[in-house]
Amino acid sequence: MRVEDLIDLFREDCQRIPSEVRHVWAIFWANFKIFLSYRTWVILETISTVASVAMYSFMGLQVDSRRIALAGYGEVDWLSFALVGVATANYLWMCISRLSHALQHEVHEGTLEPIIASPISMRSYIIGQSIRGFLVSGYFMLGALIVGVCVLKAPLVISLETVLSFVAVILLMVLSYSGIGIMAAGLILVYKKGDPLTFLFASVTEFLGGVLFPLKYFEAFPGLYLVAMLMPYTHALDAARRILLNGATILSPAVLQDVAILLAYSAVFIPIGLRVFRWGVDRIRYEGTVATY
Amino acid sequence: MDVKRLIEIISEDVPRRRTPIHQIVLSFVLRDFKIWWTYKFWLLLELSGIVLFVVTYYLFSLITTPQQVQEAGYVVGGYFTFALIGIAFQQYVHFAVQSINESIREEQWNGTIETILSTATDFKIFLLGEVCFSFIVSSTLLLISLLVGILLGAEFYTTPLSILTTIILTILLIASHMCIGILSAGVIMKVKQGSPVTWAFSWLSQLVSGVFYPLKLLPWYLEWVGKAFPLTYSLDGIRLCLQSGKDLTSPAILSNVISLIIFIAVMAPISLYVFKIGYDAARRDGSLGQY
Amino acid sequence: MEAAVETFDLTKVFESKEDDVKRYVKAVDHVNIRVKRGEFFGLLGPNGAGKTTLIKMLCTIILPTEGTAKVNGYDIIKEPDKVRSCIGWFHGETGGRSLYWRLSAEDNLKFYAYLQNVPKDVAEKRINALLEFFDLSKERKKLVKDYSTGMKVRVMLARALLHNPPILFMDEPTIGLDTISAVETRRLLKALNTELGKTIIFTSHNMFEVEQLCERIAIMRSGRIIVDAPPSVLREMLRDVHAIEVDIRETNDLHKIVESLSKLSVVRSVVEAKNSPFNATIRLQVDDEYEAIPAVVSKLHSLGVKISSVRRSEPTLEDIFVKLAKEGSA
Repeated sequence: MRVEDLIDLFREDCQRIPSEVRHVWAIFWANFKIFLSYRTWVILETISTVASVAMYSFMGLQVDSRRIALAGYGEVDWLSFALVGVATANYLWMCISRLSHALQHEVHEGTLEPIIASPISMRSYIIGQSIRGFLVSGYFMLGALIVGVCVLKAPLVISLETVLSFVAVILLMVLSYSGIGIMAAGLILVYKKGDPLTFLFASVTEFLGGVLFPLKYFEAFPGLYLVAMLMPYTHALDAARRILLNGATILSPAVLQDVAILLAYSAVFIPIGLRVFRWGVDRIRYEGTVATY
Repeated sequence: MDVKRLIEIISEDVPRRRTPIHQIVLSFVLRDFKIWWTYKFWLLLELSGIVLFVVTYYLFSLITTPQQVQEAGYVVGGYFTFALIGIAFQQYVHFAVQSINESIREEQWNGTIETILSTATDFKIFLLGEVCFSFIVSSTLLLISLLVGILLGAEFYTTPLSILTTIILTILLIASHMCIGILSAGVIMKVKQGSPVTWAFSWLSQLVSGVFYPLKLLPWYLEWVGKAFPLTYSLDGIRLCLQSGKDLTSPAILSNVISLIIFIAVMAPISLYVFKIGYDAARRDGSLGQY
Repeated sequence: MEAAVETFDLTKVFESKEDDVKRYVKAVDHVNIRVKRGEFFGLLGPNGAGKTTLIKMLCTIILPTEGTAKVNGYDIIKEPDKVRSCIGWFHGETGGRSLYWRLSAEDNLKFYAYLQNVPKDVAEKRINALLEFFDLSKERKKLVKDYSTGMKVRVMLARALLHNPPILFMDEPTIGLDTISAVETRRLLKALNTELGKTIIFTSHNMFEVEQLCERIAIMRSGRIIVDAPPSVLREMLRDVHAIEVDIRETNDLHKIVESLSKLSVVRSVVEAKNSPFNATIRLQVDDEYEAIPAVVSKLHSLGVKISSVRRSEPTLEDIFVKLAKEGSA
């Protein structure tokens, strides 16, 4: 290829129509491909998911089943109880830390500069990364549930209604936390330090949300109980358990109440998160540290 | 400073004594401490993570029955003490092994590993230096998590002899996991991938070493796999000391100690060898500073 | 006619903290330049002169502290999106950092084509052509992490051209390239400018490269534009600059030697004197090198200095700075 041929090719210009859908697709596609290139990691993470589910099944052998009934889902076995908790908690954690991780990576690799210098809106970027997050963490969640149900025979209620309701609750759960995830990403851009915020958030959530034990035991500590009830995750987990353990659907009154709370959280936090994120991007552009870590 | 003077100073032939090992190790520890101090926040986080972990299992223990734990021969404390010992010691070695890998990775990132290895430091001492600091930190975390456990009502047999035995078992536990850490560090130097070996190892040992449940609850094949992990013997030994008041004189503990010693005797040369291979390979293809 | 790039007192002050004392560095200091459409504009300056910061501000990656600029008629602060779709940016100094190392060259280019809204069929054609031109066709499916620095730089060049933007910001484009690709790249840029009328803003610290390509050259130093002129004027400025370089054995009293040399009547000024481990180089501006060489040699000889070589030298950026400083003070 000579210079002249290249010039000829560029002589004919084409119309470029901005399309947010293609931007979202590009971000998703590139990042998904990058994810697939980490093959060892995917395999190991899959193994560790399976191992953790197996571990919970052995732990369950020591549980006094009468005390699980305190959680209010009837006489369920502890494995199913914990399985729903662990699967949703991991999903949430992977999803909301996705954006921060991705951005840290982009800053580190210097790839954020060309992205900023191209006409893609930050909204498309966030959506593209989130779709990648949903799918990848969805894979691991599905893995955990399949091992639990098919291999370890956890008696979850699986029907079309419950599965659809469960998916809807999961999406709402992520939505209610996405404001916080976006906010954390914006702060990380500026302060360049790991992501203590989401980390702390994840472990507190897992602890207070009642993943391994009924929340009833918190009633002795009113402070903790209050915090637990204020967390959207507690309600998402409650809804998920009602659906998968008791066969409720998204239209059951108890579940609807949880859904309303999740929606309220989304409405409040997403705008705040976006604002902080925009502030973060402008801040690093002002400081000139888009590719500095 | 002009060139001649500089050359004079550098070329001055000081009789070069070998720096004593403890000084080299100390200089590594001091350096790490300085770097770590800037990451105070991270330690705080690590700490709160472990405390949360302990509290979570305290609450979990409320819904368990002590029956299985007692059947396994651990008399006092019930499930919470059982799980506390499991968690605290498993985190202890996990943190230590991981930080060997992480510090080597980090030095590769920053390119400082080339500088260190180009000084005349023997690589075994280099490793020792890397490891010392993380053990100081993780020991502190271990004590704190045990303390939190006691505050939450964990019960221990604390006779001088049982504590002494626990310390001996802990040292053997550290030594055996240092082998594993060094082994994986060698692999990392060559393949430059996170820490696949430690990862898989940590998960597997959680599954089969009886961190959260007595081994008797496992199906026979997993119980059998568990016998290959040093954590299994250490946890069993430590629990027998602290929950049943046994000490070195009891045959159950002695057999654990002997198993650990055999593990170390076999693994130490292997892991040093693998590390050397990884290190030489990285030097050969000039990828020591790459990541 | 509207300018392709025009800056209005564009200023960037960086804040840094050292030992808890805040320090301010003026990287770009009230710069006013105007680049016409279709112009090949060179930005010349030593490292740290503020060229990259200036370019990044024009590419909307860095926000200015003060002032603003228009690129293709759009304001860089108020309409960054419009600016972004009509520029191509390349930054050579990163050495290939700004690519996705875990994607192939082809996928990297595809990704940016998506971001720049290039239709699929056009993108495909252009990617094929660019990969072939930059001699990457064979390795197009290989992950970028396995590329050499030169190859990565070439992928980045292709990325800047992919969407056929009217304005190209080429920040040190030849820095990581081997000689042959550097020559080819210069030819391509020249052709893009003359054949397709693209506006090119080209930075370098190599005077000859810039002189060869550009219609107009601005010289930057410490954040300010100190010269803005066509190469012919620059050449004119340097026409009466005659310089010689003397290598001597390394010495402790270089500044004494420099002092006594500058007192010589044939020497206009001492541009620089560098001590390296085994020899020192002194660069002098003189009126006439043929008169100056014997005078300098005999002076040095009388001082007992050991000379290893004396030669005429081509003018450099340093010569311009010295000349400008002299004219400024006169």
